[in-house]
Amino acid sequence: MKILVCIKQVPDAEAPIRIGADGRSFAVTGGAWRMNRFDEFAVEEALQIREAFPGTVVEALSVGPARAAAVLRRALSLGADEAIHILREGEEEPLPGEVAALIAAVVRDRGYDLILAGVMAEDDMQAQTGPMLAERLGLPCATAVVAETIPPNGMTIRVERELEGGLREALEMPLPALLSLQSGINRPRYPALSHVLRARTQPLMTVRAGDLPAPPRRERVVLLFLPAPAAKTLFLTGTPAEKAERLAELFREKALL
Amino acid sequence: MNAEIVVIAEVAAEGRPAPVSLELIAFAKSLRRNAAEPIRVFLPGRGIGAAAAELARLPGVAVTGIEGESLASYSAEAWKEALAPLLAARKTRFICVSHNANGADFAPGLAVRLGAACITAVEAFRIEAEGPIFSRSILKGKLQMEIVPEAETAVVTLLPGAFRRGDAPSSPMDKARKDGTNTTQNETVLLPEEFRRKAIPPTGVTTLKEEKSEVQGDRAGPPAAEMISVPDIPLKTRPLGLLPAPDEAADLAAAEVIVSAGRGIGGEENIELLRRLASHFSRAAIGASRAVCDAGWLPCRYQIGQTGKTVSPRLYIACGISGALQHLAGMRGSQCIVAVNRDPQAAIFRVADVAVVEELVSFLPLLIAACRKHREGAAEAGR
Repeated sequence: MKILVCIKQVPDAEAPIRIGADGRSFAVTGGAWRMNRFDEFAVEEALQIREAFPGTVVEALSVGPARAAAVLRRALSLGADEAIHILREGEEEPLPGEVAALIAAVVRDRGYDLILAGVMAEDDMQAQTGPMLAERLGLPCATAVVAETIPPNGMTIRVERELEGGLREALEMPLPALLSLQSGINRPRYPALSHVLRARTQPLMTVRAGDLPAPPRRERVVLLFLPAPAAKTLFLTGTPAEKAERLAELFREKALL
Repeated sequence: MNAEIVVIAEVAAEGRPAPVSLELIAFAKSLRRNAAEPIRVFLPGRGIGAAAAELARLPGVAVTGIEGESLASYSAEAWKEALAPLLAARKTRFICVSHNANGADFAPGLAVRLGAACITAVEAFRIEAEGPIFSRSILKGKLQMEIVPEAETAVVTLLPGAFRRGDAPSSPMDKARKDGTNTTQNETVLLPEEFRRKAIPPTGVTTLKEEKSEVQGDRAGPPAAEMISVPDIPLKTRPLGLLPAPDEAADLAAAEVIVSAGRGIGGEENIELLRRLASHFSRAAIGASRAVCDAGWLPCRYQIGQTGKTVSPRLYIACGISGALQHLAGMRGSQCIVAVNRDPQAAIFRVADVAVVEELVSFLPLLIAACRKHREGAAEAGR
């Protein structure tokens, strides 16, 4: 079986973030970039399928500037066999429709049986790239997948999607297919030393986005902004002990203690 | 032909239009450039006649029910196959879809098939000369993105409940603060009247002029939904039915106070601090964000949010929770929200009544001690 995992490099959401001078991009203090957490689940799921189906090849792919090579090396260090970097220069984030078109152009003829992606990127939270890629490749697709099983013949895949309120929906699709994975489907592993050493030196397959057919751009980011603080929020001030005391008083006033 | 706005509606379990679809229709109406711009509601499914008829009674919309054997259970493939040919034949400005589990599943692929723009998880918008500018959260709600479509047609998914934020009961902790100031960002468009209008008999209570005239048109009899059927085409996807939610913990629903853990608590070992804090309240329970359940620090039955439980306790103490909308959807109705987080930019502070910017691991022991002191003081006074 041949599996593709689509991964994205995103800023660490816990780090302080400021808006770039153009008003449409964001910058992370200290340049803290990491693999999108949802994609970590996708990498892990691919590795688990490879363990169940010996001979399976897992390839990781990312669209981004030169810095995005770091998440591909990360995927290799986790155990992916190969990595494809669609090199797209420029700090302005591509929109999901562009990313899906670029990926489709590269992977269309590579014969994947299964394509996995995270349910969304932590940064732009659009949840579009996976289902858009499936549509471009004419593959059946399920999003927000929380469980999958492939029968021994490797012809189909049975998945459970997460619906509102914890309800799940089961469905079966023939392979090849595309799944976008919800977090919690597995416990992502840590890199193994042997893979880490290999990941440092293994060449990446690099494709320049400029050499691919120009992707459509059907949306335009106008502006990013920091939401105004809510006027109703009372920020407690003082030492930590004073804040704790004030909070306990509030609980007491509300007759909750 | 005048450009129109399309709503893709859905049926709830009991055969009635889903509440999110009513929200979508209200959203579609507020996107109109003028009252003459038509709104067309498509309702795919099997046996949806009654729901289609109910939608057709709403003022200002025309309804098309799409019946088909392949639409008996939802799948992205069936929905795209049924909708794309119908939509491709129309001149549509916006196709409005709910950003719930199904809408988020089929909308991006539908946009690609139609060559349309796609903007997902929209929370608000403002109207400018060139059209609406949509607003949505990025980076777990730390920032807002304003984005516009640059194609003739745009598929827009609306985050369920995002427009109802202003309806949430405000905290009794400080009544003075709620007056006119408890709005968060971007509430340029709030639609509660539209939600209520569906329950009002059509006697001209509505304020919009064109709707009055439509209501008068009703004298000839209620408007009927157009019903069409789609051919039974073979699909690759085979739906296997719904599976029940995992076991329920009754504690959360009954709790007056919920102490809830986010990834910011740092590790499983710190859950004990939350339990100790909870022990000072009489009817308290522990809750968690999705990240905590995913990490295995607490079982998934503790999860609060869009895909977990919805709670509305008297007091919600959010510990190390960033405040992604998926989580807020499950706890926004709490009477009082206290948030403790070391990141002053965390989105949770925008829904909180009381905010504490501190390291949890050092702050919680201080809070536990202060709560113990106040409880003992209360016990003394009551003696």
